[in-house]
Amino acid sequence: MSENTVISVNGLTVKYKDLVAVNNISFEVKKGEIFGIIGPNGAGKTSTIECLEGLKRQTEGKVDVLGINPANRRKLYEHIGVQLQEASFPDDIKVEELCRMFSSFYDTPADYHVLLERFEMADKKKAYVKKLSGGQKQKVSIVVALIANPQIVFLDELTTGLDPQARISMWELINYLRDEGKTIFMTTHFMDEAEYLCDRVCMMVKGEIAAIGTVKELVTQAKLNQKISFSSNNASKETLQSINGVVHVTQNGNVFELHGNGANFQRDIVRYLTENDIEFDDLSSTKPGLEDVFLKLTGYRLGETA
Amino acid sequence: MKGLFQISLTELKLAFRNFIYVFFAFVFPPMMLLLFGGMYGNEPSQFYNGHGSVDVLTPAYIGMIMAVSGLMGLPLQLSEYRQHKVLKRFKATPVSTGAIMTPHFLVNGLLCILGTILLVIVGKIVFNLHFLGNLPSFLIAFLISVICIFSIGFLIAAVAPNSRAANAIAYLVYFPMLFLSGATVPLQIMPQAIVTISKFLPLTYCVEILQGTWLGNPLSDFVRAIVILLVISVVCIGASIKAFRWE
Repeated sequence: MSENTVISVNGLTVKYKDLVAVNNISFEVKKGEIFGIIGPNGAGKTSTIECLEGLKRQTEGKVDVLGINPANRRKLYEHIGVQLQEASFPDDIKVEELCRMFSSFYDTPADYHVLLERFEMADKKKAYVKKLSGGQKQKVSIVVALIANPQIVFLDELTTGLDPQARISMWELINYLRDEGKTIFMTTHFMDEAEYLCDRVCMMVKGEIAAIGTVKELVTQAKLNQKISFSSNNASKETLQSINGVVHVTQNGNVFELHGNGANFQRDIVRYLTENDIEFDDLSSTKPGLEDVFLKLTGYRLGETA
Repeated sequence: MKGLFQISLTELKLAFRNFIYVFFAFVFPPMMLLLFGGMYGNEPSQFYNGHGSVDVLTPAYIGMIMAVSGLMGLPLQLSEYRQHKVLKRFKATPVSTGAIMTPHFLVNGLLCILGTILLVIVGKIVFNLHFLGNLPSFLIAFLISVICIFSIGFLIAAVAPNSRAANAIAYLVYFPMLFLSGATVPLQIMPQAIVTISKFLPLTYCVEILQGTWLGNPLSDFVRAIVILLVISVVCIGASIKAFRWE
């Protein structure tokens, strides 16, 4: 394990009776990055993250978190903080009581007053956790995770069930944590979230890694075409077809769609159109994203709320 | 043990926020005592072999307090915590499993003691309650009873698949024991059929040893009851540990 690696997973397999939830996956996470596992429900995301958190035993394979075998739960949790999917806190507990209780679990806890202040929750100290909104509850669960003063923060489907505004504010918080030097290991089924937040993405499908890398790498690896469309009265399908990088052209009345790729695809097209006096209007271009990578790899769309 | 104190303290606060629990542990038993004490007084009565009614009813009502904390409080809290993954969240900290589980037993045990003290104070002030036994013997009877009732509660928490099931089982176990064991209504006034049923309820033996040692009989008079309670405890604790799941 190199000095920069904080998590290494080697041949991880998780089986439940007949079901193989995670099938022989391997990857590494580097210090200070936001690493995200993305995939549909049942892809094995939670099984994977829970093996790293020591909450689940792998059937096979080796997992190493900060040089600790996660089976050594009590040692591991001196160094990591977690937010668990769907986990809640006692029914009648107040925010401050919860924070105080979790602070007592650590030798050198982070000051929860400061954390609550930073997450704009200071005025909710006396509030019952169950009375908070979804977004506020998730903020509390991050505060509780951070009381550990963790080097790595594990977030399992943090933004599921939150409204768009609360999701965006979670994204800001996560970016903030990374800027503070923490490593973030997260799972999500939102493509836009992974695209926006993750330095590296691990796309899981049916317990296996379908693709892994930066968003840009995944898009390049998938050899996805960009799409540029415009309307023109003097263009012809044939000439457009001949532009460098163009793979495929469709025409619908005077609207043309160019599919193709290349490092400077957009610029090449515009330059060709201008140099050849082809008039164009309503030009728009669509860059492929993770959603398209997923579609290409699996043949179906994950969708916004899968 | 790291976290044990803070978790226990927090759980104690939470227990006091649970209205039903507070009512059945602290309000209901003194209320019953006031009601029946008011009706029968605490003068020596032939019906109770020359003991006062309040002196006989008070130790039985202590069994009532044990039943609510051990058969309701304990299993409902634990199954709720499991279902809402609170136990799992606790496991995701450097705290030992002992520090996660022990507070539930400590806090419910403490509530039992507090409920008992309150009941005794009310009995003493209102009816001049007498303690006729030997304190160490009574405390041993108290401890054996708590262990047995709590072990049954622990088993309910361990086998119930979710908190609704735990609720249903707890009610099914709690109410018959409450009314058919002599904890609420003296067995002396019950028909024979119920007395027979009571022989199958562990709380009956708790009431027997609590009442017996309270009124001055030595523990050695209750070997059979004590053995029954200890056997039930061992079986329930063993089965609970085997069946308990964290999520």
